[in-house]
Amino acid sequence: MTLIYIFIFGSVLVFGITAVAGFVWAIRTGQMRNFSAGATSIFDDEEPVGTMTDTFPGAGTHADRDTKQEGRDSGQRD
Amino acid sequence: MANETEAPYGMPEPSTVSWREGVDRSTAVVVMAFFASSVAWLLIGSALALAASIKLHSPGFLGEWAWLTFGRVRPAHLNTVIYGWGSMAGIGALLWLTARLCRVTLPFRLPLMVTCVLWNVAVAGGTWSILAGHGTSVEWLEFPYHWSFVFAGLFAILMFSTLTMFTRRKVSHIYVSQWYLLGSVLWFPFLYAQGNALIHGNLATGVVQASANWWFAHNVLGLWFTPIGLAAVYYLLPKVLGRPIHSYYLSILGFWTLALFYNWAGTHHLIGGPIPAWLVTVGTVGSVMMFIPVTTVAINHHMTTKGHFDKLRVSPTLRFIVFGAMSYTVVSFQGSLQALRTVNEVSHFTHYTVAHAHLGVYSFFSMVMFGSIYYIVPRLIGREWPSGALIKLHFWLTATGMVMYWVGLTWGGWFQGLEMNNPDIPFMDTVLMTVPYLWSRTVAGVLMTIGHVVFAVSLWLIFRPEARDIKGPTLFDPSAAVTGGEG
Repeated sequence: MTLIYIFIFGSVLVFGITAVAGFVWAIRTGQMRNFSAGATSIFDDEEPVGTMTDTFPGAGTHADRDTKQEGRDSGQRD
Repeated sequence: MANETEAPYGMPEPSTVSWREGVDRSTAVVVMAFFASSVAWLLIGSALALAASIKLHSPGFLGEWAWLTFGRVRPAHLNTVIYGWGSMAGIGALLWLTARLCRVTLPFRLPLMVTCVLWNVAVAGGTWSILAGHGTSVEWLEFPYHWSFVFAGLFAILMFSTLTMFTRRKVSHIYVSQWYLLGSVLWFPFLYAQGNALIHGNLATGVVQASANWWFAHNVLGLWFTPIGLAAVYYLLPKVLGRPIHSYYLSILGFWTLALFYNWAGTHHLIGGPIPAWLVTVGTVGSVMMFIPVTTVAINHHMTTKGHFDKLRVSPTLRFIVFGAMSYTVVSFQGSLQALRTVNEVSHFTHYTVAHAHLGVYSFFSMVMFGSIYYIVPRLIGREWPSGALIKLHFWLTATGMVMYWVGLTWGGWFQGLEMNNPDIPFMDTVLMTVPYLWSRTVAGVLMTIGHVVFAVSLWLIFRPEARDIKGPTLFDPSAAVTGGEG
């Protein structure tokens, strides 16, 4: 019985230790610096800040969409 | 092969495929296989759920077949939605998000396809065993133990693929979603292996088995579904809106506090049970400490969306994601309160808990997965969803159904708990009192199931030849984009 408690709480501790180890690694490798830059790391020139990337199908006129699409080869999929 | 830009903010060369498109296409076959399987399991799980729900107020329903008795249908529902729908949709999102965040193409596509096939075989085999009467009666681990070896092996493949992408990553900064994904894929396989070893290996028996069982079961939500769901929200909410997360510092704080506190919480399921008081207290403390990560997530999601709630009208993804994120806040605060002994002595062993569980797995996780699938699929196969009306119908059916489900069972369950604590009220009176609330659950379940059928129809239509005629995904089309605020 004691052995099993040691196993259960040992596993809980191992989970905790991996979290602490990851945390220390994150600080050492500079992940905790410059938070504002981190937030924008998922944006770039192709999908910049300030542009929505999702709409209902058919939103906006087709003519409008087609014109814009010709101007963006990288956006064309078919 | 995609032309991937080395610099994080680099401009792709004109007239070449963008890195995003290359990455998305590399994941297409594998991720679509996981998504399609997940939706199939969602339909099967919904049918089983409806059968179980109807039996609670009309016990004779389908009663003449042993295979469809409540004791089999209910665990079959749980396991098909957890391991079939939730896990397979989650794995699809996990692989796609990891590839995008690391900016690398998906490796090991053949082993991952085999993983998808075997995963389906394991869920089907396990569900069959449950319906045949060979379930284990250990909640969340009802599949006969031999299937756990299959799942453990598949988890190892997933872990290896994800870590391979992580070590090959082309970005130096690790975005908050990536932390959550690493958490889910590194912790959960070990949890699964240990939970199975303890329970099916008969290392833990009797009361200790119950402790191990609830430590495991609660962490399925806490260390598997929650991190994947939050990773999707933290990526898609800013991406769809075109606005960076309100406070990146808080998001990181939220991840690390979740990592430290969540895995302690499971024993709150055994409040009042015959286990040492300190074991329950540990679970209660862990649950209440969850206030910290949950508050950071709530502040962040609200402040990022604030002033842009009108965008819910134009983005299918955003509707589902925002609904899911709000539910996460509600379900987590509710969960912390439920872990208090005074609240628990009323809510325990009532329908209140069932409402809470669905608020977590359905209202939060499943709605976030619906939103993610609406965002991801057009980018994988280069086609737009055939009908906006179908998406809206899916949203309103599932959202209305879920709210109805939660309100009915929370309300009914609380009164059920109060009555059961009163020794003057006969038990049968309490049972009969809950019948109208159980009917409301069935009606809500019907709404949600119709929603799932609508969703499956959408997914089927996008693969029809007619769908080709629709111009590329609106996502890559800036004309359809709406300006996202100050930026």
